[in-house]
Amino acid sequence: MPEHHEEDRQKTVCLQTMEPDVIHSNKTSEDCKPLFKENELNELEEYNFGPNFIKLRPTDGVRELQTVIRDKNTPRTDFIFYADRLIRLIVEEGLNKLPYRKCSVTTPTGQVYNGLRYEKGNCGVSIVRSGEAMEQGLRDCCRSLRIGKILIQSDEDTHDAKVVYANLPKDINQRKVLLMYPIMCTGNTVAKAVKILQQNNVNESNIILLNLFCTPQAANQLVTEFPGMTILTSEVHPVAPSHFGQKYFGTD
Amino acid sequence: MTENVFAFTTMNMTSSASDSGDDMDDSKGEDEMKPLSIVTDLSPSSPNGPLKMPKSPSKVSSKKRIRAPPGSAKPEERRVLHTHGRRTLYTAGRPPWYNMEGQLTNAFVIGICGGSASGKTTVARKIIEALDVPWVSLVSMDSFYKVLSHEQHEKAIRNEYDFDHPDAFDFDLIVSTIARLKEGKNVNVPVYNFATHAREKAMKTIYGANVVIFEGIMAFVNAELLKLMDIKVFVDTDSDVRLARRLRRDIAERGRDPQGVLKQYMKFVKPSFEHYIEPSMRSADIIVPRGGENDVAINLIVLHVHNQLQARGFKLRSKLAQSTHNGQPMPESLHILEKTPQVNGMHSFIRDRGTSRDEFIFYSKRLMRLLFEFAISMLPFKDVVVELPQSMTYNGKRIAVEKIAGVSILRAGETMEQALCEVCKDVSIGKILIQTNLDTGEPELHYTRLPRDIKDHYIFLLDATVATGAAAMMAIRVLLDHDVPEEKIFLCSLLMAESGVHTVAYAFPKVKIVTTAVDKEMNEDFHILPGLGNFGDRYFGTDFND
Repeated sequence: MPEHHEEDRQKTVCLQTMEPDVIHSNKTSEDCKPLFKENELNELEEYNFGPNFIKLRPTDGVRELQTVIRDKNTPRTDFIFYADRLIRLIVEEGLNKLPYRKCSVTTPTGQVYNGLRYEKGNCGVSIVRSGEAMEQGLRDCCRSLRIGKILIQSDEDTHDAKVVYANLPKDINQRKVLLMYPIMCTGNTVAKAVKILQQNNVNESNIILLNLFCTPQAANQLVTEFPGMTILTSEVHPVAPSHFGQKYFGTD
Repeated sequence: MTENVFAFTTMNMTSSASDSGDDMDDSKGEDEMKPLSIVTDLSPSSPNGPLKMPKSPSKVSSKKRIRAPPGSAKPEERRVLHTHGRRTLYTAGRPPWYNMEGQLTNAFVIGICGGSASGKTTVARKIIEALDVPWVSLVSMDSFYKVLSHEQHEKAIRNEYDFDHPDAFDFDLIVSTIARLKEGKNVNVPVYNFATHAREKAMKTIYGANVVIFEGIMAFVNAELLKLMDIKVFVDTDSDVRLARRLRRDIAERGRDPQGVLKQYMKFVKPSFEHYIEPSMRSADIIVPRGGENDVAINLIVLHVHNQLQARGFKLRSKLAQSTHNGQPMPESLHILEKTPQVNGMHSFIRDRGTSRDEFIFYSKRLMRLLFEFAISMLPFKDVVVELPQSMTYNGKRIAVEKIAGVSILRAGETMEQALCEVCKDVSIGKILIQTNLDTGEPELHYTRLPRDIKDHYIFLLDATVATGAAAMMAIRVLLDHDVPEEKIFLCSLLMAESGVHTVAYAFPKVKIVTTAVDKEMNEDFHILPGLGNFGDRYFGTDFND
């Protein structure tokens, strides 16, 4: 018995000297473990969060974007390049939820093409800081769109989300709102932001949340609390890439 | 000392009327090999050639017999072949060299043999000139001298190596090169360095042509090579005349003494002619006495080649437009981007003739980005396991393709390059210029510049609109001729006509066709209906009608 004990201790020492980070973070993430078995992260059941919760079609191209963003060994330049691509896809998909009307145009060959025109009266709202990473993607698609900002910080003691700053278009209550926040772990921050919008008389059904990665808990909380809001994400997964903001802005 | 060697190789090295310009930075100058008769005729202010002419006739002729150091010739001088008629042959576009199924038809191979200084090149040039067809490749045997060992190299410097013997040539390489050219494919011809008697590291790329002319003193010695030739011409010039030419050339232009020239002639050149070259005259179809001066013989040859070429000719675009694919289901290789409200809205902007150029560019670029994201997801992917910062692993996907290249069909295809670069890191970009000949209505290939190892790449072939599919077909054919596997080609466009889809899919079923919309019809000017007008003109602002 003592021999065995000795062996175990040696092993631990060895691991610690070689990979201290791994040992350390294993300890902190222990409480997550019961949720899923390792190496089966992608074989989770299909979540269903109702008709207003929309997931980007997981093509191989999208899966690659997610993989590169999640990979801890991705260099920062690659990270930004791939994140911007995924953001653009989410933005393009989100814009499809905006109103439009049918119209006919005449082509240079003199023929008629039956297409459509986008309606005016939309705006974007980014939640500082990581939400701002998505602003450029939206700006690249809608050049003169109005964009508001909300800064929310969580109290270190109580973990309550508190609004520090909000600057929104005056007539936001008459607009469709594209709310931008890339990573949702608990959903608290977004819930707070939606409440701010509601205080500004924005109808829940006029909000379209643009999100990249979302945990099932966050999705559950938001669809329960705001059933009328449209939520768009690329992936629902128990582990959210919470390093997103730090890596995107280079502040690790 | 090294100049002595040149006495045996006399006139010419590889020269090509159809060097596609793939490979402009390596070979030696070709202008040096031009026969005097042509070069002196040059006018420095040539009318038609878009590419620069050599600066002055005198400069060219002085360079003519001197082996220039590598890289000394200007690329634009090497890409063209100038003729009596002051035409620039290479720069003329290449009409289709494949049939409606996209399959190759063999090039016409002319073999020219004759003794040293008999005027082989002059005859070749005259044939090229009189043929008046674009895309002729002229390949010289001199490029195929064997690499010499150290001892042989020493011998050559002492003037004792026999360059006039069949063993001096690499016939295996000659046969495989000519066979490939006959198939219409591009080849890499070695560049022989006569100072080191080795091949230069960089090869010279000669693009497949409609007519291939191969000339050399031992052109008819190898039986396999003879089989590849469609017509065999022997240039029979009196040996006195040939010796006189050699003497004049070597003494006047290389400053060598008459004794040395004569000694070499007697030791190697004359015996070789009697043993190998003269007997090979039997294989010839036509013997041209007096070389390049014999206009009657040259005209006869040209007439024959013309008839042969005409028998192979075809009208491609009009045939393509007429071909009826009506009612056939869309091919499986076609992939259309989902028509979401945004995609439809972008199309409305792009198609509207009232859209400003600023908006036209903006919305077409947005659409292109979606197109390429869509196309990329069709590449092969592999499963990977990556480490997360949360100290877990994640089963994801990564692209299983190492090299991706975009090849744009000028001009409209170029507009798509930026969008491709935005979704594809470190993508290499090639370019192909295809224009419609207004007289024949046929597409013509004018220029290609592709990444060197293009065959190892997956290719996104870019053209904004595809109407008949004639240009796309030609571009795909160019890629196939560069050994790109068909299944590695993705034809990406914003708008296609149904007939274009069918044409490309019929000829190249493995090429993936990726587009954002397919329109039903096409008018008699081959414009897509309802379409979006001329994409390039609207994007670059070169339509002055508005």
